[in-house]
Amino acid sequence: MMTCEELLQYLSDYIDNNLSEELSAEARAHLATCHNCHVVLDTTRETITLYRKCGDECIPSERRAGLFQRLQNALVEREHYRISS
Amino acid sequence: MVDEAVLLKTFQSGDPSEALTSLFETYADQIYRLANGILADANAAEDVVQETFLQALTHRHQFEGRASLGTWLYRIAYNAAQDRLRRKPVSPLPGDEVDGDDEEHIPMPKSFIEWRWSPEEIMADREARHELERAIHSLPEKLRTVFLLRDIEELSTDATADALGITPGAVKVRLHRARLDLRERLSHYFEERSHGDRL
Repeated sequence: MMTCEELLQYLSDYIDNNLSEELSAEARAHLATCHNCHVVLDTTRETITLYRKCGDECIPSERRAGLFQRLQNALVEREHYRISS
Repeated sequence: MVDEAVLLKTFQSGDPSEALTSLFETYADQIYRLANGILADANAAEDVVQETFLQALTHRHQFEGRASLGTWLYRIAYNAAQDRLRRKPVSPLPGDEVDGDDEEHIPMPKSFIEWRWSPEEIMADREARHELERAIHSLPEKLRTVFLLRDIEELSTDATADALGITPGAVKVRLHRARLDLRERLSHYFEERSHGDRL
């Protein structure tokens, strides 16, 4: 029977489906009987979900256009330098 | 999505402007999020985006295609952000004062409460969102960067390892620690908030 410490050690691999079938079955059996480990699993998954939802942060559109223009200008300057030298 | 081989060929040609536009459209936001996650400074993150594409342009003929173009850009961006972090005159972020090298140490969970609110409810709460930001910036930089690439940008373990120049094993250990640290911090926060009726 898997212990809480072992479950904790394998938790991320369990979440990412990286465990062997045997270890995965042991983890499921432990989780079915251990409330605390089940809470840790659920709240770890929720943590990932929350940050993934936060992860849609983009460069503000007006700044993005300016940034792209700076990049284009740098490219033109380089080409100009390459040709003139 | 443009075929990577075609994109690379155009990028390494004498006229890379079209490929540069395509790369900027695909990766600028991801690079910005990574840099902002490391530096916690939107202006500096924009500078890192600029620097990344300029460096990629300069060194485009050195790219050998062993990793994907995206992973290569992440690597340039990560190094650029690290350079800025080293030069930063202000105090490091709170988590950066903690030694992130103690990677074998897996923190034991202390909080075992279930969260009362759905992710949607949490995301709609300004204070809770602020706490999410505070928590991720409390992580040591090494853990934070792996969490950003693996769990937010959803890069594979191998691509993250390539981008950061570390082993896949180190990626897995850092990710595990980051997830447990964040879970613990958020659990304590939600436990305190749960004494009230609502978020």
